[in-house]
Amino acid sequence: MSEKGNADSEAPPVVLVANRGEIAVRIIAAARRIGASPVLAASAADADSPAARLADRVIVIGPAPVAQSYLRPELIATAALQAGASVVHPGYGFLSEQPELAELLEIEKIAFAGPRPETLRAVGDKSSARKVALAAGVPVAPAVEVDDVETVAGLGDSIGYPLLIKAVFGGGGRGIRLVNDAGELARLAPQAAAEALAAFGNGALYLERFYPAARHVEVQVFGDGEGRAQIFGDRDCSVQRRHQKLIEECPAPGLSVATRAVMHDASRALVQALAYRGAGTVEFLVDTQSEAVVFLEVNARIQVEHPVTEEAYGIDLVAAQLRLALGWDPELPDVPPVPSATVIELRINAEDPENDFRPSPGTISRVRWPGGPGIRVDTQLEDGYRFPPFYDSLMAKLIVRAHSRDAAVAAARSAAATVEIDGVTTTLALHEFVLSHPDFIRGGVTTSWFGPTWEHRSEQRMESVR
Amino acid sequence: MTDDATPSWQHLLDLVAQLDSGSYDSASVTYGDVSVQLSRSGPLSAPVPSSASTTPATTSPKPSGTIIASPMIGVFYRCPSPGAPPFVEIGASVEPDTTIGIVEVMKMMNPVSAGVNGTLTSFLVRDHEQVEYGQALAVVAEASSQ
Repeated sequence: MSEKGNADSEAPPVVLVANRGEIAVRIIAAARRIGASPVLAASAADADSPAARLADRVIVIGPAPVAQSYLRPELIATAALQAGASVVHPGYGFLSEQPELAELLEIEKIAFAGPRPETLRAVGDKSSARKVALAAGVPVAPAVEVDDVETVAGLGDSIGYPLLIKAVFGGGGRGIRLVNDAGELARLAPQAAAEALAAFGNGALYLERFYPAARHVEVQVFGDGEGRAQIFGDRDCSVQRRHQKLIEECPAPGLSVATRAVMHDASRALVQALAYRGAGTVEFLVDTQSEAVVFLEVNARIQVEHPVTEEAYGIDLVAAQLRLALGWDPELPDVPPVPSATVIELRINAEDPENDFRPSPGTISRVRWPGGPGIRVDTQLEDGYRFPPFYDSLMAKLIVRAHSRDAAVAAARSAAATVEIDGVTTTLALHEFVLSHPDFIRGGVTTSWFGPTWEHRSEQRMESVR
Repeated sequence: MTDDATPSWQHLLDLVAQLDSGSYDSASVTYGDVSVQLSRSGPLSAPVPSSASTTPATTSPKPSGTIIASPMIGVFYRCPSPGAPPFVEIGASVEPDTTIGIVEVMKMMNPVSAGVNGTLTSFLVRDHEQVEYGQALAVVAEASSQ
């Protein structure tokens, strides 16, 4: 692995793919592209999956439940040893951001296609990530710790309203209160402290600025692990339901040059400060009222929505991850902050959007995808595929590129309308709705746009049925 | 319809994981307005061996008897320590909790039990061999079937 650029030694390097579904198919394709031999670590439920058939070899690591297979670092490391792997690619989710797998592989001298374990720890929880971001000069949401709940009103003025009261030792969204003015703050802070003391054993609170109308914009970064940072534009992922992204696009539409520069420069500074290794994403909120930019978190992995960036710039981020992990040149060009094309990705899930997004696993009897210029489909579906109930609901990503945003929206709408998936209910209906909606066509909707807009549509449909 | 009536994917995953660790042949559960059916007769209980692997289990004729499958991926050992006698010899009688070997995963030793009463008739993998989850390790002629 230390011989730089030694791509043509006799036996091809083995890439262990430690994931499933569409991203396993994607990683196998990248391994082939760089001349490596892909081996899939699969649960028993996925041992005969389309990804398994594409791989050179399948190693069954455990039964279907993720807690006994895909979430067990020691099983993945054992599979890597059995495969004779030079590198393990963890995909997204599962073990991709768990330092334990990266550390086990380090001991076995097998490369991990991701950041170093210490980087994963540094950005792994919100408070630690916030400290790292602050130190690198990245803009963060104004926040302050509360020393005395009786004199809290002055602190609120320093943050500005609306704001959130949060428990320092809270988690999972518990102990959070939204406050609109100083009177509410004075009244609710003592309650929140008492509640935090009861729930978390510690009544410590902090106040954080709340942005009710913000967009989710993220920056794609790639670091060489030695302090060099490359920036591959940005993505807008504001069409969300309950924090689940539904549609992503590159570039983020309608950003001013200054706002974009703030995000890109902050992301570059963060990658340099961490000597970040490989592909990553720096997530921001952009307040639509003030255009203020605040840091959310670092996703230290390849993301579901990486194809919009790949198509916009004509690059292969997954192949670059593998190349870097193998000690080769990642072969990524320097690119302008805004690509010349617009790319939109639609996530097609096995859920019923007309019935509260109820899960709908089952057998896909038949599937047909659109073709033509600028259309890419990342999926594991095929005719007769039994969509398993054990894992997440992502079936496919339809990615569409065009010369302008208007053209990309129209092309995505047209492509979505020709998708045929028989046998299960999918989220295609919501995509046709969003891509035809004047707010989305205009561009720049906030993260709180989709939920109520979709509910309003559902209510209207109910009315018309009556 | 309320949120409570519709399980999320995570609810279903938890449910399936819980059901999977129980002992049953088939199960049907109705949860809100979603019903889930599971059966062990599908391909889940018999993972397809990889085409490239050359394990004796796939090349030798299938012996009659009850197969003891590997509970996990790892390295199979017939002896508790190097030089020690094996846990069981071929032809020995076994009970459900008789240890027939261990599977080592990253220095963690996991004993493998026979699971049934009977006579251990053969091993399908060599000592120190790499095994996968679900791979056939040994065959037991069950006492009741003799």
